[in-house]
Amino acid sequence: MTQILEILISGITQGAVYCVVAVGLSLVYGASRILNFAHGSLYSLGGFLAWYLVVGGPGIPLWLAFLLILPVLALTGVVIERAVIRPLRGSDNWKINTIMVTLGLAFIIENGLQLVFGPGTRTIPPFVEGSLSISGITITWYKLSIFVISLALVGALELFLSSTRYGQAVRAVSQDMQGANQVGINVNQVFSTTFALSVVLTGVAGILLAPVFLVSPLGGWAPFLKAFVIVVLGGLGSTKGAFVAAFILAVLEAFVIFYIGPSWAMPAWLLMLIIVLMVRPKGLFGVWEN
Amino acid sequence: MSATENTPLAKINSVFTGFGLMHDSMVYWAVVAGLALLGGMIGDSYVHHILILVFIWCIVIASWDLILGYAGIFNYAQLVFFTFGAYGSAMLSIYAGLSPLLAIAAAAGIGAVIGLIVAMPSLRLKGEYVALFTFAVHLALPPLIQQGKAIGMGGNTGLLGIPWLNLFGYQVSSIDKLTWYWVALAFGAVCVYLIYFIVLRGRMGLAFIAMRDADTFAQAIGVNEYKYKMLAFVVSAVFTAVAGGLYAHYTSVVTPKVLGTEFFLMAMVMLAIGGMGRFPGAVLGVFIVVIGNELLRSFDDFRLLLLGVAVVLTVIFLPNGVAGLFAKRK
Repeated sequence: MTQILEILISGITQGAVYCVVAVGLSLVYGASRILNFAHGSLYSLGGFLAWYLVVGGPGIPLWLAFLLILPVLALTGVVIERAVIRPLRGSDNWKINTIMVTLGLAFIIENGLQLVFGPGTRTIPPFVEGSLSISGITITWYKLSIFVISLALVGALELFLSSTRYGQAVRAVSQDMQGANQVGINVNQVFSTTFALSVVLTGVAGILLAPVFLVSPLGGWAPFLKAFVIVVLGGLGSTKGAFVAAFILAVLEAFVIFYIGPSWAMPAWLLMLIIVLMVRPKGLFGVWEN
Repeated sequence: MSATENTPLAKINSVFTGFGLMHDSMVYWAVVAGLALLGGMIGDSYVHHILILVFIWCIVIASWDLILGYAGIFNYAQLVFFTFGAYGSAMLSIYAGLSPLLAIAAAAGIGAVIGLIVAMPSLRLKGEYVALFTFAVHLALPPLIQQGKAIGMGGNTGLLGIPWLNLFGYQVSSIDKLTWYWVALAFGAVCVYLIYFIVLRGRMGLAFIAMRDADTFAQAIGVNEYKYKMLAFVVSAVFTAVAGGLYAHYTSVVTPKVLGTEFFLMAMVMLAIGGMGRFPGAVLGVFIVVIGNELLRSFDDFRLLLLGVAVVLTVIFLPNGVAGLFAKRK
């Protein structure tokens, strides 16, 4: 019984971080209809930057590293949108071109990280030690704190989208780009902002999970794929959906890993994706688009 | 060709020489004959090896072009078909003792089945969802091959000692590069011909292009979307699996590396540089990239990074690839 509870808790804490990656992916897709295949590599980028600052390089405390990395991630997002995505907008085969370009970008980041940091895995020591124990069930303080931070991030994003003027502009662009343009919303700026936010979210998730999962140059594909399955199950553009879906899927994953084995985790996600697409292609809360 | 200039048929026919099917075929086979002669003149077995890889890649990229460029389905599971072809053919010849040529034929059958399996969920999806689903299949396969160790898939080390091709009692070893050159050229030439000149210029090609360019309209005039998309997957997978089988018997080793970053990036660069849906763009892309990749060998560590940069730059600055350059000049 305690074992099952522990698996559940582990799944739930993991789920919160997956949710951060997923809402980032969904945010960009919602605003600009781009499925960013480099999303997972940017997750690794966040992890590696933090590893460098905290462990490999100057050895500064993690909170300071966070403060330094956030603007770098945001800037990376803006640069990618400006330099790579924007020139393609309005071109003939826009959709396939953005897929090709973001995939290419993913491989550039991946191999860049590999060149700079080597192919091995890295880890960051957790910022809090010890664990909490309630009637035989133990959970590390670290997992508890990344759970809280993730929830805060997703909550803040939801608040930003629902109740600030700028967030409303993002939603307007998501619903009708041309209409938004006509009422005077700077659409290009919204694209840049969503890209910046998205990279920040996935990068932060990469940092938070580094002590749990380790970071490696090629390690971004797993969180990316998981984020996508979450987004599909939750319903596109629905933060609430992504939230619920992240917990369901992460708990399922935790059970698969415990009872069948870690190497079945990825095939299990794929299977979950197929089942979701077969049973409820529009997701739990979303409206099926296209 | 004024009246038919904008019809899909004109589009397919005008991309190559612009003088119709007969003329195109003649030019095509003349080039193939030229390559066959060239093989005999080349004395360097390393150059043979590179060109053998080019011919095998041509089959993969032509099949990918068929589904991605012509049918407009964002399929990224191409190397999955290749892997199944390679492993299937290898295992059938190692464990069941099938003659390699028969094993390659069986690999085509395996390809058809895998194509169907990947197609079924994909057909419920649209656009980038297909891209992600198929790519997810690609990503999930290496761990499965790991598990497949139990049924003789060799795990991480892969399969070694795959039997050589047996042509009418004559063993073609991997060292016999010249014979392999002609074998690979023959396979490549026939497959590419079947793809671009038979399948794509026939009813199927028309349906593909109609679906790609005018989805709703195509359905309105009675193009059975489900059937033709399914066919696109199956035909593409069959040819790619043949290429996989050929590759397995040529190198006599298959490892999960065929699903690694390098192969996938190579395939993407070939298609991007060559240009999608514009024969002979994709095939030219194969020649450019395989040869370019060999020239870049000295950059070793940076090679994959450069390939990635090449994808991004060509898509931004040369969105229709090399084929687009030709079209502009006309």
